[in-house]
Amino acid sequence: MFGPLIARRALLGTALAAPFIRPSFAQGSDPYVIGTLFPMSGPNAEYGKLFTDGVQLAIDHMRAENLLRRPVRVQSEDSQALPQQAVIGMTKLINVDRASWVLTGFTSVSKAVAPVADRARTITVNGGAVGPDLERLSPYFWNVIPLAHLETRAIFPFLIRRDLKRVALIYVDDPFGDAILQLMQREFPAAGGTVAGVFSIPRAQQNFGAVAARVRQARPDAVYIASFGAQQPQIIKGLRDNGVRQPLISYSGINIGSVLSLPEAEGLIFTSQKFDFSAGDALTRRFAADFRARHGADPAIYNTNYYNGTRLFALLAAELERENKPVNGDTLRETLLRIREFDLVGGKASFDEHGSMTAAIQINEIRGGRMTPIAG
Amino acid sequence: MLLLQLLLQGLQTGALYALTAAGFALIFGATRIFHFAHGTAFTLAGYVFLFGFTGGLPWWAAALCGIAVATLFGIAMERLVYRPIQRHEGSFFTVFVAAFGVAVVVQNLIGMLAGRGFASVDTELSRASEVLPEVFLAPVFWIAIGVAVALFAALSAFLTRHPAGVALRALAQNPDLIRTYGLSSNRLSVLAFALGSALAAPAAILTAMTSGLNEAIGHHAMLISIAATIVGGVGSLRGAALAGLMLGVAESLALAVVDTQWAEGVSFFVLFAFIIFRPSGIFGVVQTR
Repeated sequence: MFGPLIARRALLGTALAAPFIRPSFAQGSDPYVIGTLFPMSGPNAEYGKLFTDGVQLAIDHMRAENLLRRPVRVQSEDSQALPQQAVIGMTKLINVDRASWVLTGFTSVSKAVAPVADRARTITVNGGAVGPDLERLSPYFWNVIPLAHLETRAIFPFLIRRDLKRVALIYVDDPFGDAILQLMQREFPAAGGTVAGVFSIPRAQQNFGAVAARVRQARPDAVYIASFGAQQPQIIKGLRDNGVRQPLISYSGINIGSVLSLPEAEGLIFTSQKFDFSAGDALTRRFAADFRARHGADPAIYNTNYYNGTRLFALLAAELERENKPVNGDTLRETLLRIREFDLVGGKASFDEHGSMTAAIQINEIRGGRMTPIAG
Repeated sequence: MLLLQLLLQGLQTGALYALTAAGFALIFGATRIFHFAHGTAFTLAGYVFLFGFTGGLPWWAAALCGIAVATLFGIAMERLVYRPIQRHEGSFFTVFVAAFGVAVVVQNLIGMLAGRGFASVDTELSRASEVLPEVFLAPVFWIAIGVAVALFAALSAFLTRHPAGVALRALAQNPDLIRTYGLSSNRLSVLAFALGSALAAPAAILTAMTSGLNEAIGHHAMLISIAATIVGGVGSLRGAALAGLMLGVAESLALAVVDTQWAEGVSFFVLFAFIIFRPSGIFGVVQTR
């Protein structure tokens, strides 16, 4: 007598419980979400394209290798290289898209989103910003690029050797520029040089004729440019067009297409992490060959960094999948600190206890519109 | 010598600001439409010139293409955006949002087509040589000053002597009276947009040679145009031109005494000073209530 009633109740209960059961099945096949928080519009959008090209290639390689059991989805948010926009994007990536891993860049943006990443325990990886204070922002904020103190320090002995002892600094008024200013004023005199003048510029400034007049007046042996985005070629053209003939010096951020193709940038000297795409390991050679095939040009440093930033997630998540552990900020961090050394493009990459990658630095010169290593 | 160098630099920058601002002031003065997309006409003219010149066109043909595209853009905005809005008695805010929307769309289209980054015309005209000890001057300085003077002389002659120019000035003062005389305020409005947008083109072409372009450069052109229009006196063409020149000189000369950081801030300090002490601007008429 009670049989059919119990069966109906069981059926009803099962039906009601079904939506709650589904996620446990779905989780196994739900994609990992890699969030990207890059400038896709505005004067720094050139970087967004460079960064994204690196991520896309890494995703394609990861899929081809079947590195992970679960699929991977990339969710892009436009930071416009502005802290406020970036925090909005980061909040969406974490709370709506449930990103397992977020890639970002730019010092001010990184500093703005790091507390959000810290609270949510979401690993956020920077492959483009080089502000020295990005090193200890949060246990969940890592860097796959040598920070500016490593790059800028590396060029001091080179400048002294070339008898470029009086250096004028043009720096953008933001956390990155301020960090370079402090480093220059603190460490360049100790290396035997003199800071001949410091010239702060707003992020939106576009005309540098008058700044060039002030730079000429300082009579430097060389001019160090600490800026980013579309402003960099404008500074270079502004200086060269207005009579500044001294060597121009900068950091890896200057290695973008609009600078390389600028005739006025010929002879510009800049630092970057060390790469040898031709004589590298199989991973590096495959990356360089596939990148050239897809884009018809050599990969830039930023393409490589964001490829590495994406591949690092795949390597860590694959390790966790092998161990049947959940993939989250804490387990990813534990795995990084346990393994420390990874095969990435450019060779073996080591990470310190803060999640910052260490790498050798080389000095390059722009010759014939190409980056040519000259020292290091 | 630094002061002289900064003054010359300021005159060059100011001449370009004056041309851009005069275009905006002409449109706003005649039609009372806050044409926020004026900066977009500037950007389009610059990029068309750049692609024409680098594509092999003679400089004058590339410049004419740039001016033509800016002019057509101005006319299209008047006919396809502002007039339909005004037909439905759209508010100032509706007009502003529509223009802002067009500016964002065009900016993104330029970014997609021309690439998101810096672009400039490589020319000897922008390379300065030492004309006096410690004073560097590029040929583009004389071009900027010459073009600005010639265009203002031509515009003044048109507005004072040609019937259409006189009618434009009348439109600014009393649109109803225009209709009483059998003139079409719609046609005059199109003329204002065509002339105002064309005025921005030479400044954009010279900017492509000097400081270069990016797809977001129109916002800066717009900011300077608004500041110059307010400082010069709303509705005054010569006021906007003079204010544009003044802002350029002020932001350059200021570097003799303040840090380079404050160069563009000086423009807005001048703007605030006018808003507080002379809200009607240099040539504006004081409104009493």
